Amino acid sequence: MHLWRDIKGTLQPFWVTLGYLFKKPVTIQYPEEKRSPPPRYRARIVLTRNPDGSERCVACQLCSAACPVDCISMQAAEDADGRRYAAWFRLNFARCIFCGLCTEACPTMAIQTTPDYEICNRDVLKLVHEKQDLMVDGCGKDTEYNFYEHAGIGVVNERGGNADEYGPVDPKSLLP
Amino acid sequence: MPKLTIDNLQVTVAEGTNVLEAARALDIVIPHFCYHEALGAVGACRLCAMMFVDGPVKGLQMACMIKAQDGMVVSSTDPDAMDLRRHVIEWTMINHPHDCPVCDEGGECQLQEMTVAGGHGVRRYTGKKRTFSNQNLGPFVQQEMNRCITCYRCVRTYRDYCGGSDYGVFGSRNRVFYGRVQDGSLESPFSGNIIDVCPTGVLTSKPFRYKTRLWDLQEAPSVCPHCSLGCATVPGGRYRDVQRVRAGINRETNGFFICDRGRFGYDHVNHPQRPRQARVDGQPVMIDKAVMAARQRVAEMAREHGPNSVAFLGSSRASLEANALLRDLASTTGSTQLVFEAHHGRDRAARTLVARLGEHARSQEDIRQSDLIILFGADPLAEGPMLALAIRQAVRNGGRVVVIDPRPVELPCAATHLPLAPERLPVILTAFGRGDLNAFDAREREFFASLIEQLHSARRPIMVGGADLLGDKGVDALCSAAAELSTGARSVGVMTLLAGPNSFGGGLLAGDGPGFDTLLDAVHEGRVHALVCLESDPFREAMDPARAQAALGRLQLLVSIDATPSLAARRADIFLPARANAEMAGSYINNEGRLQAFLPVIDPGLPIRETGAGNHPPREFFQETPGSAPEADWWLLAQLLERSANLAEVRKTIAENDEVLAGLLSITTETTGLRLTARGVMPLSAEKPPLHAAAVGILTLLVTTAPVGSHWLAHLSSPLAATEPQPYVCLHPDHADALGLVAGDRARLTTHSGHCQVVIRLSAQMMNGLVLTPQLWDTALEGMRPGSLLDCRLEKETKA
Repeated sequence: MHLWRDIKGTLQPFWVTLGYLFKKPVTIQYPEEKRSPPPRYRARIVLTRNPDGSERCVACQLCSAACPVDCISMQAAEDADGRRYAAWFRLNFARCIFCGLCTEACPTMAIQTTPDYEICNRDVLKLVHEKQDLMVDGCGKDTEYNFYEHAGIGVVNERGGNADEYGPVDPKSLLP
Repeated sequence: MPKLTIDNLQVTVAEGTNVLEAARALDIVIPHFCYHEALGAVGACRLCAMMFVDGPVKGLQMACMIKAQDGMVVSSTDPDAMDLRRHVIEWTMINHPHDCPVCDEGGECQLQEMTVAGGHGVRRYTGKKRTFSNQNLGPFVQQEMNRCITCYRCVRTYRDYCGGSDYGVFGSRNRVFYGRVQDGSLESPFSGNIIDVCPTGVLTSKPFRYKTRLWDLQEAPSVCPHCSLGCATVPGGRYRDVQRVRAGINRETNGFFICDRGRFGYDHVNHPQRPRQARVDGQPVMIDKAVMAARQRVAEMAREHGPNSVAFLGSSRASLEANALLRDLASTTGSTQLVFEAHHGRDRAARTLVARLGEHARSQEDIRQSDLIILFGADPLAEGPMLALAIRQAVRNGGRVVVIDPRPVELPCAATHLPLAPERLPVILTAFGRGDLNAFDAREREFFASLIEQLHSARRPIMVGGADLLGDKGVDALCSAAAELSTGARSVGVMTLLAGPNSFGGGLLAGDGPGFDTLLDAVHEGRVHALVCLESDPFREAMDPARAQAALGRLQLLVSIDATPSLAARRADIFLPARANAEMAGSYINNEGRLQAFLPVIDPGLPIRETGAGNHPPREFFQETPGSAPEADWWLLAQLLERSANLAEVRKTIAENDEVLAGLLSITTETTGLRLTARGVMPLSAEKPPLHAAAVGILTLLVTTAPVGSHWLAHLSSPLAATEPQPYVCLHPDHADALGLVAGDRARLTTHSGHCQVVIRLSAQMMNGLVLTPQLWDTALEGMRPGSLLDCRLEKETKA
């Protein structure tokens, strides 16, 4: 009985190979030909903008705190209107492992992964991206959210001017 | 000692401890907001609910309001207690905004911790939140009232503990607002403490705003370098930048709080002009080369002109280790020209204090517990601000305060004030100690007779002196008076405010040798050719800066070790960059003889803020951090001595050579410090008094220190710059009337060293007939030395 099994085991692979000779090949001739990964693929990291076109990142450092390889660093600063923003923002793609934890941590939807996986470079310094290299036009995956419209401390709207707030109270009033 | 059971664990605590603290002793953290150890319990936040199952108290109670009693059985995990806590925290969170990512409290937010601890995870309230308009509270405190949870801690700290009156609580129901009546700077010199006590992000530090999230901040226990009190601090730094200081906890010194000078005076570390490069003859060199050059040239000088041609100047802002090694360096060189303070009066006062203090030494905690405090020529807000806060606590506990001072000494509490001429203080102290009332006129006699009576009925009296005004004679008289007024049952304490964080250490290390003025004479006469300066600026700190600059110009060799842009650092032939207090480990001895250690927070280096010019850090990479040359002052001196530059070994050698400093072997930052009992040596009594300037007028000018502006390190700190005063003189209103001056007038002050423009201030507390002016760095008043009495003229400036 072993003999029959061995013969079958020897011939069957040839049959499979023969079958594939008449099928369309799955190999893609990269880089001449390119694949489009699914929309939620985790590759190049970008900084997106609010629906109104302003910067989303508030330099809260949660991405850098979440990053397991410490590839994100930044410095926060304050705008004239009290808005917190990143004076500089550096992401080292030579270190990044594309785990996506930064995007999960981001409270403003600013940092997002994109399907663009072509990041390789022979010069390591070119993999160190600054804020201007990371900023994109557009909201990315969330086209509605603007952090400061929900934060509850003014900045984009008047104080107390957001949808879920009453206007500022008069603390000197003694009315009940 | 009540013994109680909390969550099935038994604990025995001191009488009067509340149940919240008893639970904390068992490492059981009960959520709470309004309770603070320094402020006490008010039971307002309703968050620390615990179930009292059995014993003298029963039912659901606030743990902070119940004193621990024998036989109590308490549960923190009772379902009812947990349910109440969960609801309370949910109510507290109802109006709290959703802005944690941009809140500077993030990382040390007690509200966040307590929300999690209280078991409130998901928001159920979907209604609108109430909001407030914010106030501008000045350069130190940033307000964001929307975050407020009305715990009242800030008001209790600001008004009750610190004695401020311009910050309070307004409104009713959910409109309760904490702030000032109008926008404006907080007036209290302790305003920064409300930043520390606020459990959430309502009150945050303005200079620290948006600089760093707190989990990224490097922190270490340290000792404040801004006065002689040695308060515990915790500086924090990131990106090679010291960015903030918060209060450390040391129950013997500062307790839980610090003053604004200590809190916002960190920026000298990051000063843009700070010299960070070793230099020999103006050429930048590696630090090892500079150390070698210094060693060779000092040895050469000693060989050529004799060992006493090399002089050594220590400092009250250098660490104890460095000062002790400087003494070793002097003795290795064979030189006896060793001084630890360039200011003649302060040097002699510190040495006298160390020699005389003994068992009369008192800590800030003793001050807080005292029932009678008599200030002789001491202005705490200027010379040691936290002492004023300690005095306030004594008054809150029922103590009394008497101020005997020519200056209008401001305190955050009620005090009886007697203005007296500064030169009379030593005489008066001696007479007071002996109970001899003949030295006084009728009014003073009544005052002192009642004071002696009060002193005899007091149980823990303390006499506080200021080294600047009292001088060595006054400090001597103060210690004698304390000894004479002490009885077997009751010892009269002494606390003296010195100039720097390690003035006491300098006084302890100094022998009975002459002071710096005598040394300057030797330089002038060509007997001393070389000077090694350790974190000292003799060009500007000597009693007569003009004379010092003339004499020091004759030096053949000036070696300077410094961490600040001082004149000595600029003029040095060999400059060795030192680390600042926040960048090194070391120790100081505070004004009561307490030896305290501190640890480094960051390594030295040009802040990324500077290397990147505000933008991202440079895109080139170097092996070495730019500006990282500075080394600890004791490291440099150990290298000069060709000894091992390891701190443990340095301390061991110092302790072996001098048993007085044996405490160096055992100090850690975890303790409250080590009170040294050793005494120093009195300075020579026959030393030539400082030169009295030629008479240029008929008015007497007393030079003193201002709370901000007179202290070198604080002056180099940009957050404090806004609070530095313009040059001014202070007069009694009657005196000003006689001179035809009114408050706010511009006047010309003439002294032997020149003219300067000053603004007139008036105070009814001033001694009539005296003109008072502070020494202020980088103003026309820079050359005045605190504690000196000068002749002056004061003329009103007519507007051109």
